[in-house]
Amino acid sequence: MTARRHFLRAATAIAAINFGLVELAHAQSEPRKPDVSRGAVIAAQGTATGAPACALCHAFNGGSDGSGAFPRIATQPASYLAQQLRAFASGVRANAVMSPVAKALSPDDIADVTAYYAGIKAPYLPLPKPAPALNKRGELLAKVGSAAKQLPACDNCHGPGGAGEPPAIPYLAGQYAQYISFELQMWRRGYRKTSQEVMSTIAGKLDDQDIAALGAYYQQVLAPDQTPPLQQEMR
Amino acid sequence: MGQRLKPVDVVTVGVGLTGSLTALELAKTGLTVVGIERGAGRDTVPDFQSPAIHDELRFSIRKAMMQDNVKEAVTFRNNSDQTALPIRRWESFLPGTGLGGAFVHWNGQSFRFQVADFIYKTHIEQRYGKKFLAACGSDLTIQDWGVTYDELEPHYDRFEYLCGVSGKAGNIKGQIQPGGNPFEAPRSRAYPTPPMKEPYFGALFRKGATELGYHPYPQPSANLSQPYTNQEGLSLRQCVFCGFCERYACEHYAKSSPQTIILPTLLKKPNYELRTNCQVLRINLDSTGKKATGVTYVDATGTEYEQPADLVLITAFPLNNVRMLLLSGIGKPYDPKTGEGVVGRNYTYQTTGGATVFMDESININPFMASGANGTMIDDFGGDNFDHSQLGFIGGQYVGAIMTNGRPIEFHPTPPGTPRWGLEWKKAVARHYNHTVLVQQHGTSTANRFNYLDLDPTYKDAWGLPILRMTFDFPDNDIRMSQYIADKVVEIGRAMGGKTVVRGGTKRPYTTTVYQSTHNCGGAVMGDDPRSSVVNRYLQCWDVPNVFSIGASAFPQNGSYNYSVTIGALTYWALDAIKNRYLKAPGPLVPA
Repeated sequence: MTARRHFLRAATAIAAINFGLVELAHAQSEPRKPDVSRGAVIAAQGTATGAPACALCHAFNGGSDGSGAFPRIATQPASYLAQQLRAFASGVRANAVMSPVAKALSPDDIADVTAYYAGIKAPYLPLPKPAPALNKRGELLAKVGSAAKQLPACDNCHGPGGAGEPPAIPYLAGQYAQYISFELQMWRRGYRKTSQEVMSTIAGKLDDQDIAALGAYYQQVLAPDQTPPLQQEMR
Repeated sequence: MGQRLKPVDVVTVGVGLTGSLTALELAKTGLTVVGIERGAGRDTVPDFQSPAIHDELRFSIRKAMMQDNVKEAVTFRNNSDQTALPIRRWESFLPGTGLGGAFVHWNGQSFRFQVADFIYKTHIEQRYGKKFLAACGSDLTIQDWGVTYDELEPHYDRFEYLCGVSGKAGNIKGQIQPGGNPFEAPRSRAYPTPPMKEPYFGALFRKGATELGYHPYPQPSANLSQPYTNQEGLSLRQCVFCGFCERYACEHYAKSSPQTIILPTLLKKPNYELRTNCQVLRINLDSTGKKATGVTYVDATGTEYEQPADLVLITAFPLNNVRMLLLSGIGKPYDPKTGEGVVGRNYTYQTTGGATVFMDESININPFMASGANGTMIDDFGGDNFDHSQLGFIGGQYVGAIMTNGRPIEFHPTPPGTPRWGLEWKKAVARHYNHTVLVQQHGTSTANRFNYLDLDPTYKDAWGLPILRMTFDFPDNDIRMSQYIADKVVEIGRAMGGKTVVRGGTKRPYTTTVYQSTHNCGGAVMGDDPRSSVVNRYLQCWDVPNVFSIGASAFPQNGSYNYSVTIGALTYWALDAIKNRYLKAPGPLVPA
């Protein structure tokens, strides 16, 4: 920061206070910092504009429940979560439950609530273990890919062991099998259009068994007693 | 001679780009084809998957994908008065090995050459007069290719559509296209896929170049901007900008390579057989020396075989094409003292370098978000796109902000005056890593009579055969050219907003200890005259008509651009002649 720019910013701020425009000046000179506490309130209580509390489905710690109907969002990168909320609102990722919720959130709400969930840890629930053959098939696709299907390994982008490549790419490690499989089906059938260029082509090459196997593998890759994902270490 | 195997129609020496492409086209005609590859077999899955493929120490520093120079090195010297020594660590250039060859570890920079490149000598003499060339250097030995751009255009088109090249056309059938390269040779249609996204360093370059009146355009890329299916039915994916292209293989099916665009179709052909880990020792000739009978090779167990074939295609890395001809006694070796002989003559390289532009800390470049060919560049100083009449040199360079990676071991720009190690160096790297733009110069290499390839008199490979000797230094002409353009690049760097701009440009002597380019070419050049070329305009050996030497070894001199797409086009051009003429009436396609 040069001295000249310091001076300019100070001058702008003084002028703004005089006219009662502190908020505006702040927005112009530097991006607003997400307010994690406000995000926690939204997670717990929802918003006055009609968004219900996120915790109703995703839990206050972002771990959701073990049914797999709702994804784990704890420690998922804020920018990824925000991108998904915007996609729900715009319909790029159309979803009967999430689209109305996302539409009710302002850009600041999104920034705050995603910052909250990105920064919180949630325990891994004890879940039933998948059949070994299914798990093995998932592991192979996840780590090596398939030459026959010209399918690259998921871990190429989603990180070793599905730990994620923040900020753009979500973790899969410990994500619920049901959710992973459902989303792959959404891409395969053309309903989900986020990362379409990459994920639709990939999902199009997977059959039902592959999809079930990938969900099963990534759900168990972090057993409850194991070290948390690499991603948490990095935070 | 080793065990004699069942004769086949065609054998390719090497299975990289040219070896797989020729095999595919000839296998489609029903011929039995054997591909002999010295390296290992490998495929996108499982061999190229991450995290293993992003091992910078293994692939960038220890050169895991390159020719094993413990077994097979190249000796080097700057001139004939010196004694050449083996290059035991590849640095200046990186010959690949293994299935797919160097077309696996390339960056994907996908240019066509220009109209004038193919008629270089004629063009220079017509534009500047016959005395001009001699004034640039009495020792220069540039010549025409024997094939014209117009003849190659359909083959360029076909190859670009095989690769799915992402780019913005600059000239479609003579119509200049806004946003493309106005200096581009006319193409018959647009690129198969739209150009790559422009990174921030490209946008800065675009701004600076535009201010100075130049013509920026997006670099054509074989790492694709969107999914694509080629004419062989093979699909490529969209590039994810991981920053691991050159020296690496692509794990995402996003880079054109034999593995993605050719091999899956070829390997299904019942009349094609691939033999990996097999080293071809020589091409065998009959008693007349005018006809090849096949090749002799050694497999991984050390067992020697003779593979008889009617047609032998030398499809190795350019340097190894030349060596194979020399080891087999095909064509007269070049003698720089007399200027006679052809094999090894007109070895050329590439003039590279460029400026380092250090920016303010408020400008974040994020160099790690990169692809091998997503630069923004200008051709205003490429080839003969500018008037040379008062300049005293021929040739030119393209200029562009082309940053292919921000990998931690390789990329740590520091301004002049920074200590080479220690705390101050670390601080400088931290300060400049994310705020530095590299502006590349990349251009012509002019042939002269002193630069050549031959067999080394001293050093042998693991099989007891002499290794290749390279005698090379940049001609003065090329130094003058590169230094002239270096000044222009400094101006661009300043117009981009650079606080410090470090001037580049090629200097003498040429050294093999710094990476410059893997565009080794020439040594088995094409042409219309057997006294100045090894192969005719169809890449057929003048002396042994059932041997074709295919690849950049045929370039009489090197143009401004990265050469892979021109190699692909030349291969399709040669294949057209082989399929439609040679197979119907085997023999010389051009009377000697």
